[in-house]
Amino acid sequence: MAHSRLPIHVANKRAFVWDVEDIAKLRSQHHICGILVGTLPHLSQQNVFLGVPLVLMPEEVVLLVEKEIAVLVDDPNVYPEPTSAQLKKWMTEQHAIVQHQQTLFEANVKDNKDVKGPDRAMSEEAIRKRKERELRRQQKLLEQQNSPLHLNDEQQNPSASISTSQALSHTENETNSSSFNITVPAVSSSLEWYNSSSCSYTTIESAKEAGIWDYPSDLHDRAKCGVFRDLWEQGYFMGGGIRFGGDYLIYPGDPLRYHSHFAATVIDSPSSDLLPMEIVAHGRLGTATKKTHLFCGWNDDKKQVSYLSVEWAGFG
Amino acid sequence: MESHPSYPKLSILVQKYPLSAGSLFQTYNDLVLAQQWRDVQVTDLGETCKRASIQGKRPAHIAVDDVDTTLHVVPCSMSESISLGWISDVFKALSNPESLYLAIVTDDSSIVYYKLSPGIVKPFV
Repeated sequence: MAHSRLPIHVANKRAFVWDVEDIAKLRSQHHICGILVGTLPHLSQQNVFLGVPLVLMPEEVVLLVEKEIAVLVDDPNVYPEPTSAQLKKWMTEQHAIVQHQQTLFEANVKDNKDVKGPDRAMSEEAIRKRKERELRRQQKLLEQQNSPLHLNDEQQNPSASISTSQALSHTENETNSSSFNITVPAVSSSLEWYNSSSCSYTTIESAKEAGIWDYPSDLHDRAKCGVFRDLWEQGYFMGGGIRFGGDYLIYPGDPLRYHSHFAATVIDSPSSDLLPMEIVAHGRLGTATKKTHLFCGWNDDKKQVSYLSVEWAGFG
Repeated sequence: MESHPSYPKLSILVQKYPLSAGSLFQTYNDLVLAQQWRDVQVTDLGETCKRASIQGKRPAHIAVDDVDTTLHVVPCSMSESISLGWISDVFKALSNPESLYLAIVTDDSSIVYYKLSPGIVKPFV
């Protein structure tokens, strides 16, 4: 069933996942981590806390498609020209949002003026009223913010949320208005003209034929896919191995909970050259970091992986 | 080399496999004289591997549980190019031990030993 598979958005032969639910599902159900690369709009100068999109390694993509967990979506082509009716509807919605913000803003200005009135600010009566108002405001904020998912639902249906908030502002003059969020949607799949049915690919071959994907393209790519798949099937989590000079770091569980026990290097074939210097370099670094280095040999004829664990001997 | 006290024990295999003669000679002497291994023997790995291997036990005074286990050491030179296929042939020729030690010999005769085990073997904690 292609519908229940999660979409991997492919742009410029790079694979992205944009939906937070999908990212959670990949990690918890399929032990695929990927790497978050999106920066936070308000903290664009930092690179510690990153958000959507998630970029997947090509081996991860091949595995997810072959295991029928995901489909590849040709992202640049899922937005056909909208019809004029669709555009009109979209414009109306945008207009409603602008008006909603205008209302909130005006209410805010009015509120500020009231507070700044010198006589009222001085009187005890005013202070008491202000305290009450503050209390009500906080309670309401709590009610509105206790569920971020609920907030999202409202935003997907802006007309509904507007009418409720307008109704509220009628019944209560001093509507809370000093803080409101603007969400920049990460996914465009809610747009009415979004249509992925004609540009989704359920196999790597069909995606290659369509020209949106080209991995694996040679023996080395096939070796990496084969090794990745074999380790994944044994239940390991794999992350990028650059920190330890290998192809992967291999974790026994979620990398947030476990240290990796192995760093792995993929060897294309049983006859590929292996220099003693590589054994020394990987072996000694691994031992110093309490990891075993794995040489993962791919046999392209038998489609089999054989492993060799390397450790420093402890003498010499 | 010929006048060295170790030479008589190694002469047949040194002459049979001249390409690995240097690394075999250096490794044998290092194990016997520097590492103080016991019961050190040399065996022929046969035509597919084209070299000799060394068997022996670690010195009795070191604090490991399995100090009397016979270990296998396969010498090679730093400048050689080996492969996973070759390593698996060596394991076969030694009738598949749990692990073996690769002795890597450099031009200045310094030697490093690395433990190789088939399969995914967790690091010793």
